[in-house]
Amino acid sequence: MLKDITLGQYFPGSSVIHRLDPRTKILLVLCYIVLTFLIENFIGYLLLAAFTVGCILVSKVPPKFVLKGLKPILVFVVITGLFNLFLTRGDVVFSWWIFSITRQGIYFAAFMVLRLVFLMVGTSLLTLTTSPIALTDGMERLLRPLRKVGVPAHELAMMMSIALRFIPILMEETDKIMKAQSARGADFESGNILRRAKAMVPILVPLFISAFRRADELATAMECRCYRGGENRTRFKELLYGKKDLGAGISFLALVALVFAANFLFGKVI
Amino acid sequence: MIKLEDVSYVYMQGGPFEKTALDHISLEIHKGEFIGLIGHTGSGKSTLIQMLNGLLKPTSGTITVNGKVLGEKSTNLQQLRFEVGLVMQYPEYQLFEETVAKDIAYGPSNMGLPKEEIAERVAYVANMVGLSPELLEKSPFDLSGGQKRRVAIAGVLAMEPKVLILDEPTAGLDPAGRDEILCKIKDMHERMDMTVILVSHSMEDVAKLADRILVMNHGKVEMLDKTAAVFRQGKRLTEIGLNIPQITQVMDGLRENGVNLGEGIYTVEDAYRQLCDLMNLKEQPIC
Repeated sequence: MLKDITLGQYFPGSSVIHRLDPRTKILLVLCYIVLTFLIENFIGYLLLAAFTVGCILVSKVPPKFVLKGLKPILVFVVITGLFNLFLTRGDVVFSWWIFSITRQGIYFAAFMVLRLVFLMVGTSLLTLTTSPIALTDGMERLLRPLRKVGVPAHELAMMMSIALRFIPILMEETDKIMKAQSARGADFESGNILRRAKAMVPILVPLFISAFRRADELATAMECRCYRGGENRTRFKELLYGKKDLGAGISFLALVALVFAANFLFGKVI
Repeated sequence: MIKLEDVSYVYMQGGPFEKTALDHISLEIHKGEFIGLIGHTGSGKSTLIQMLNGLLKPTSGTITVNGKVLGEKSTNLQQLRFEVGLVMQYPEYQLFEETVAKDIAYGPSNMGLPKEEIAERVAYVANMVGLSPELLEKSPFDLSGGQKRRVAIAGVLAMEPKVLILDEPTAGLDPAGRDEILCKIKDMHERMDMTVILVSHSMEDVAKLADRILVMNHGKVEMLDKTAAVFRQGKRLTEIGLNIPQITQVMDGLRENGVNLGEGIYTVEDAYRQLCDLMNLKEQPIC
């Protein structure tokens, strides 16, 4: 029922990309996102696509899983594409009734769609190859310098990892409660919106109660082990940059250089 | 009554976490039987019972309950769930209504019964599981753990199912609460002529209550036989992470040391009787 939702969509593996330092991956994905918006022509996108496909192949994540990440934003992509296609002014190449398509519109639409797709594929690849725990770990380390200006980096990371940890628990809990109420003849699928909303009450009440109970228990368990925040806390696994990370950085820089060269050589499309 | 033919169930089919929970099992359970279902953690017990009322659909194979084939379009799942009552593990976490009475009435009102009959049933099952009338107007969240458990079981019983499935109904209860709930279940089995499937980790409870025992191991049916026949295979049971009742171990030990005792003692009551006979004592009722 609910198990098809993949929020923490980590795909276990031991490829080079899986083993990269999470900080490297987070930073590179951020740069990657910026880069998708700096590309000015299709040659650049071709280079980006080659790099992305290469990364997917190296990571050994089945392409099916990467593409699955695109599904939720599909509607968004289509609408953005259509808006850009029809609502951009410029040199008309085709028109019918009240619709007219311009040359600029076609390019804008293509660029927007490409940007969104690459953005999603890039971030999916990050979450597919990095476990949520490693991700928050990396995040904490990256935010650490900001502690000097009062950003509670450790607390934020702890909250994030707890929230992430609770997602599967609560999903399982919801599943269990839904089953229990279905066993008593609950019907969540038929009737109008009001009836369906009412049918959710037997799920939501026990779910909230159990969420509060679990939060309470977790807080007690943390207290029992003398948790007192990030101050002077040491770690079992220190994050260390290695040769792999240097390699990843260099290959990404090569991509950036190529993209800028393409921008320079082939110029702006629009 | 219940018939499984070559049924398999695979979690997350095709994904990286694919796991076979049930592996081509076939079995038959007759009307009015009391079945004890045992197996180590992860042996597929919970998956099996969730299939019997259509909460999970088999990946392959067919399940027939009361002549209805699960998964066929003509089979109304909701109707089936009223016939096959399932009490899940820790059922007290499913309570949600303002009062105990309303919570017990949730199942029957989903059945669309008239108000008077619902009230009648609530009163009847509450009495049956041992909830006093003044508790009915209380909030279920104010009750003790054992009482909550009883409310949850009553909520399923109020639908008057033909088959009652209980998944470890005594987990986390104190000994008194455990015995009382098991006594009630046995009582209901006899009085309402229900088919009962009891999942338990306690060999003692199963030995005391069940007519037949179904042993699951790694998604397969290891044994399905009369209680005595199953517990005679103590060695095999130990191999798959189960055991025979402690009293049986004691009695077997005594016999091996030359005490003149019969084989096949699975409950404390039987043992008591045998020992009384042996020592020429007058039997006094226990329990």
